[in-house]
Order: sequence, then structure tokens, then C-alpha cells
Amino acid sequence: MSVEMIEKLADYIKTEIMKQPDRQIASDEALISGGLIDSFSLVDLALFVEESFNVVIDDTELNADTFDTLQQLADLIKSRQ
Amino acid sequence: MSLSNILIFIGLALVSASLLKGSGRKPLLLIISILAIYWLQPATPIRNLDFWLPTLTIAISVFTWAYTRQEKGAVSKADQKTALLITSVILLISLTRYFFPLCCLTVTRPPEIFQIIVLIMLVVIITQTINHWISGNKNLIQTAVIKIIVLFIFLKTEVLALWLSTVLRNFTGQSVELATAFDIRWLGFSYVAFRLLHTLRDRMNNRLPETSLSNFITFIIFFPALTAGPIDKIQRFGKDLDDDFILNPNQILLAGKRIVIGIFMKFAIADSLAIFALNSTNHLETQSTIWMWVLTYAYAFRIFFDFAGYTQIAIGLGMLFGIQLPENFDQPYRKSNLTAFWNSWHMTLAQWFRGYFFNPLTRALRSRKVSIPVIILFGQLGTMVLLGLWHGITWNFVIWGLWHGIGLFIHNRWVEFTKSRPLISNQKVAESLGVLLTFHFVVLGWVWFALPDPSDAIHTFQVLFGGGA
Amino acid sequence: MNDNTSKTNLWRLLIKAVILFILFNLIFAFSSPQQILGKLSVYNSLVPGRERLPFGENPAEAYNLSLYNLEAMFSSHEISGIDKSENEFRVFLIGDSSTWGFYLENEDTLSNILNRSELETAEGKDIEFYNFGYPTISLTKDLMILDRVLEYQPNLIIWLVTLESFPYEKQIFTPLVQQNPEFVKPLIEQYSINIDPNSELFINETFWEKTIIGQRRQIADVLRLQFYAPLWAATGIDQYIPDEYKLRAEDLDPIDDYYGFAPPTLSRNDLAFDVMSAGIEHADQIPVLIVNEPIFVSQGENSDIRYDFFYPRWAYDSYRQLLATETEDNGWAYIDLWQAVDNTEFTNSAIHLSPEGSAQLADQLIPKILEIINN
Repeated sequence: MSVEMIEKLADYIKTEIMKQPDRQIASDEALISGGLIDSFSLVDLALFVEESFNVVIDDTELNADTFDTLQQLADLIKSRQ
Repeated sequence: MSLSNILIFIGLALVSASLLKGSGRKPLLLIISILAIYWLQPATPIRNLDFWLPTLTIAISVFTWAYTRQEKGAVSKADQKTALLITSVILLISLTRYFFPLCCLTVTRPPEIFQIIVLIMLVVIITQTINHWISGNKNLIQTAVIKIIVLFIFLKTEVLALWLSTVLRNFTGQSVELATAFDIRWLGFSYVAFRLLHTLRDRMNNRLPETSLSNFITFIIFFPALTAGPIDKIQRFGKDLDDDFILNPNQILLAGKRIVIGIFMKFAIADSLAIFALNSTNHLETQSTIWMWVLTYAYAFRIFFDFAGYTQIAIGLGMLFGIQLPENFDQPYRKSNLTAFWNSWHMTLAQWFRGYFFNPLTRALRSRKVSIPVIILFGQLGTMVLLGLWHGITWNFVIWGLWHGIGLFIHNRWVEFTKSRPLISNQKVAESLGVLLTFHFVVLGWVWFALPDPSDAIHTFQVLFGGGA
Repeated sequence: MNDNTSKTNLWRLLIKAVILFILFNLIFAFSSPQQILGKLSVYNSLVPGRERLPFGENPAEAYNLSLYNLEAMFSSHEISGIDKSENEFRVFLIGDSSTWGFYLENEDTLSNILNRSELETAEGKDIEFYNFGYPTISLTKDLMILDRVLEYQPNLIIWLVTLESFPYEKQIFTPLVQQNPEFVKPLIEQYSINIDPNSELFINETFWEKTIIGQRRQIADVLRLQFYAPLWAATGIDQYIPDEYKLRAEDLDPIDDYYGFAPPTLSRNDLAFDVMSAGIEHADQIPVLIVNEPIFVSQGENSDIRYDFFYPRWAYDSYRQLLATETEDNGWAYIDLWQAVDNTEFTNSAIHLSPEGSAQLADQLIPKILEIINN
């Protein structure tokens, strides 16, 4: 379940945000503090998560403190499903 | 905070930690914070204002707490006790008026006690009204948000602040002619307002946990972070407060290290640089390009060391009381692009604006199918201009905000453009060039920030780029 | 880290810090390196040297401050950065605030106006003037500075004086003298000057006052002087000159007392001629020109009793006579320029000159300077 979720999230980030479909993203790679996702795309990511997993991520949660890696994001989503 | 303020706070922390051994920490922290906001409040030309402003800070915080309660109805025993404690501390401070050896914690003698009692009764009545009829009503919470923003605008706009001073002077029977826009020096209000707005907005989004009055007030006026941040989140702060905390030697070491570093940054480096940092007088007297750069660099490093130094001290003091305040600076001048700079400069304020302005705005525009560059442009410009205005509602801060907003937009587009076509293949060279460029973009931005009059800034730019006077 | 090791670490750190702190303070107190530290200066290296000695009552506006570390003061002066060339003829000006140039920009001080005249000696050497005035009035302060500047190889010293620098009670009244007994006392003793070297006005530091803690003010002053260097370099400003200020008093109080001396005349022993004599003797082979500096002569109320804020007429007249006799008897070079400047060219005090006033003084002084140099 978690692996699938991470894959789906990684796919979205690679193709839609980074526009580098061939890039590999490790599940513990820093997305926000590492600068892979800018603040604008973060909102897009939240919208994507809300649509795909039916979970709400608040605007104030879009920062590295709440989640910074794919693993942490997946954990957050699961905890709210 | 002066050096002696800091030393006294350290002493208080160590004494309280060794006496209390964890229990009684919360009420003590509340008491110290209340005493601190009266003690640190600077003098104002308007009579007794140095007593009323901290009192007002507490009153507004109590009202906000009442607004954000989960449900209307009677308050708990614990909260009643807290209210009693707060009232007693305020009355005790006001009593120093009558005890000369103790006089005064405040810079001037506190007002007559009956005035204070009337005010406190008024605050209690309003709070109870909110508690019984309003708590939990989200539409009315919205009005509280607006009220705080309006108050903020009044204090930060020169004309309005001047008008406010005139009104107050009329009230105290002082000369109206002497009124200035700088009469109302409200210690920590900028930060208090943003913490209050954070709790109100989170309550509206159902993200605010049930918070005791004690925790709420301590969060809002926590003295290490009162004057210069960081802006914490109540969810996190509350957890630290509720945890059992025993100050251990290791924490003393860590906290001590941060405080010592902070003191060095603020009082040795920043205060020395301040002597020759760019200001509204010396830029007019400087006609040489090289020395104008020296003054401008000095300003850039001064503002960093001052602010980051204060933050270190705040975090260190917080640690001594068992509160792990969030980081606010992460080597901002060594970042290779402007976006990274704003992720590492005054981080908690930037995050605040992202969470409560940029993200909601972007989300709203996104669902309206506005084109992406336009969303980003409006989002960045709006956020940065507001961030500028937070420092004061004047043109120079608007320009400073636009400067950074445009910079962020350009960087964003640049990244988009170069995603598929890297221009400089050597990563190290690209990185160093980026650091140099970003640093200078920020340094030149400070010229707008440092000089209240934009025409002064333009003169400075002319000299910086060899134009002369 | 477990609790016990971190506890020992904490104690170890505290003890180390305390020991180092005490050690540094003791070393500092025993070695008293203030004057050596004063030599470390950003002036004359990173930034140009100052054209006059540091002095400033409101540093934030003046970009300058008053301090008492002589070494630091002279290290910041341009003289420390200029090697004397074969072709240079060096003239040092010493005196009070009017020589320093109170309310005058550097370009308008007497020294710089003289420099602008581009004088040459008969042999064709360039005559360069340096400003060593310092804003307090005391011959003993002047003597201390004279002693200090001898090491910079002057060819001529011009010593501007006024009656106010002569009374004995004024001699060690200035903080610069009080804070530097180690430089003043030897001179007092060497020339048997009629000043008590054990006067309580001299600041004799106790051992504790010599530690870093005791010296923190002085150390901070030396550092602040360095931090004002960029502003000096950037702006050339070393004094706050207000747009408007109160002019020297025209109307005077009808008081004819002068330091309790009995009219109608001053006696030779009322005035510190021994300090002047010591200075001239101390300069040895280097000629010293004594100048009685210009004063404002009031036309207002009670001007029949007093010349100005400083002087009752009888005292000043008597002083001029004594000074003339004294210089004559000793064969000292002397010029009395008390009326060399128009009354309108005085600024906030009866001795402070406007730019035009300085120029008038320079005009009168130049022939005398050339006469001494070329004889």
C-alpha cells in the first residue's frame, strides 16, 4: 500500500512538477528543504493528494516541518485516511 | 532586550529550574512572561501608556482565546484559576506604584489602581460575553481577524498612528501639538498580532486543539520570542509546555552555547557594524562608490547578525525553560538562489505568510484555471509586498517587497526555463555564481529597506553604480 | 551523552571558562598592553589617517569620539602614516580647540589653510603643517602633546596659547591629562613644574582597574574609534557642526574676577610660565613659535569691564604684558595676534574662528613663520 502510494506520488512529482520523468526520487530524499519542490508546486501537490487520496492537507502544513520526504508524506496521508 | 535583561532571564531560568524541578513550570512561565512584557515595554511620551500597552496585549490575547474556544459556555476551573493568576500579577505590578522600593517594574509609575481595576472588570465582562455567546462561531472569529488587522494597520501607518496619538493625548490631557507617529511604541505587537491571527485562522480551519488559557497566553507573550520572534505554532508550543521538563546539564550546555553565540552576534558584531552601516544620514554624506558599498555591506551583515543573534538568544532562553522554539535563520547569505534565501531568512515569518496568504491564494487561483505564470506572479508579489508592509506601511517597504517578489518570480521562471537546458555545466561554478548573485540582489534590496525615503535609496544606487550625486 | 557525563562536562566547561577569564585579566593587568594595543589601527592602512586628533562629544553624529589612549589617538592621525621625505619641512601646530578647529571642517582649520598656501623654505623645501590641537585649554595638556609629537621629527612647533591656558588650576583639569599621568608626571618632575605630581586629580589605576574588566570602557573606545574609520573615509566628517548655534556672548556680566587673582594686575607667578618654559626646553633644538591667539572683543553690555566671556580687561591686558616680557627675556619666538581676526569671524565662543577668521589668522601668521624658518 505504502509502496504504491509512494510510487504514485513520485510519478506525479517527477512528471508534473520537476518535468524530469527519468529522475529517480528516493523515499527519504528531502523534497522541500532540498529545493525539488517550490512553494507554488507544493500547493499543486496538495491538490493532487486531495484528489487522489481524498485527504485534506491544510495550507499551513505545506512545509518541511510537516513532511519533507515521500515517506513522510505517505505516512501523513495514511494517518488521515 | 539588553544584555542585563538577558542575564536576568538566564538567572531566572536557572533558579526556577533548580527550585521547581518540573512542577509548577507552567504558571511560573506565565508569571515571568507577564512580568517581562511590562518590564521590557519601552517608555512612551503618552502618560501611563507603558502600563496600558502590555495590559492591552494581555487583554487582546484573552479575548482571542475566548473566540477560539471549541464551544461556548462556562470556562473550566483551571482557566478560572489562570484568569485569577493573571489578574493578581497585573494588580501586583500596579501596586508597585505605592511601594517605592519596588517601584517600578514599568518605566514610569503605574496608573492609579482603581483605573486598573475598572479595566480588568471590563476585560472580564467582555471575555465572559464572548465565552457565553460567541465562542466557536466562525463568522464572528472572522470579525476578530479583521479587528486585529485593522489595529495593525493603524499602528503601522504613519498618518493613522499620528491620529491615534492625538486621540490618546486628548484623553490624557497632554499637548496634542507634540503628537508624533512614533508615540505608540507597542512592544512586540507585530509578533503578537501574527500569533493571534495564526490561532484564529487555525480555529476557523478546525486545526486548533483545545488550549488552556494558561498555555494560550504563554504562547502569545512568551518573552524570549516577544520582541523579535521566532513565530512559533501553538500546536507545537503547547506540546512543549505540557511535557514534563527537567532542565539537565546537557540542555544548559546547548542553551548556553546558543546564548553566548547570540550575544556575540548581536552585541559584538551587529552593534559594531551598526556604527558604519548605511542610514538616512550617512548615505547623503558619502560620495565615493567604494565606501558606499562598504556602508551597504555593513548594513546587510548588521541586520543579519542583529536579527539572527537575537534569535539565537531567544532559542537559548526558550531551551532553558523547556521550549524548543523553531529555527529562524539557516545561513541565508550562502544560498544560491532567492527562493532558497527566503527559505532560510526569517523562516517562521516567511512560513506564516506562505501558510496564511500564498498557499490559500494559489489554491483559489488554481481552481479558477488562471495560467500558472500569472498565479505565481500574483502570489509572489502579493506575499512579498505584505511581508514588506508588516515592517511598516510605507513606500520603501512596498518597494522592498516588490523587489523580492519580482526576484522570486524571475527565479521561478528561470528554473522553469533551464529545467531542460542547463546553461552552465559546472555545478560548482553555477553554485558560486548563484550565491554571489543572490547575495547582491538581497544586499541591494536592503537599500530600500534601510532608507525610509525611496529617493534616498535612488541616490544611494547612483553612488553605488558610479553615478555620483 | 548520559546525564552524569554531561554534568561533569558542564562543570569542566564552567571551571575552564572561569580560569581562562581570570588568567586573561591578570595577564592584562600585569602587562598593561593598552599603549601597544593602541598602535593597532585601521587608520593609515585600511583608511586614510585623520587630519586632527580624535575628539567628539556625540559620536553618532560626529563619526568621532573622545578617548584617552594617546597611542590610539596618534595612530589614527595622518602623521603616523606619512614618512618624512628629504624635501619636507615639518611644522606642527599645538593648542586648544581653536587650533583643532571647533565647528570648522578640516579644510578650514588653520593648519589646512596654511597648507593651501603651499609655502616653501628659502632652500626650496615644502612646508607641511599638521594639526595637533586638542579641544581643552591647558598648557600642560599642550606640553604632553608636544612631548609626544617630537618623535615625528618636526622642524618647527607653533604653540598657540591664550590666557585661559595659563592658570595653574586649569593645568590638570582636563581628562586627557588626568587619564595619562604616566606621560605627564615625568615631565612635571623633570622640569620641576609647580604642579603637584601626586594630585588626586590624576587617575592612578588600582590593580583591579588595570584588568580587562576595569579597562573595558577604554578598550571599547579604542575599538569604536576603529569602527568609525569607514565613516571617516566615506564622508570626511569628524565633527558634528550644527546648522545653527548660539554665537559667543556679546553682552557680559559685570564681573572683574579672574580665578580669584587680585586686580589691577596679574603677577608672573599666577601663570604657568614654567610649563611653557618646559615645553620650549623639551623641544631642545627644534624652534618653538609662541602665538597669542585671537580673541573676540565684545562691544556689548559691560564691555568696558570685560573683553569677552573669558576675560576681564585688566587680567587680559596684564597677561599680554607678562607674556611679552617673558618671551622677550627668554629670547623665545613670539607673536601677539590677539586682534588678528575681525569680530564677526568668531563662532560659538570667544576663541573659535570661522573659516574666514582662520584665513585672516593665517595671513598674519605666515610672514612670522617664514621669518623664523629662514633665519
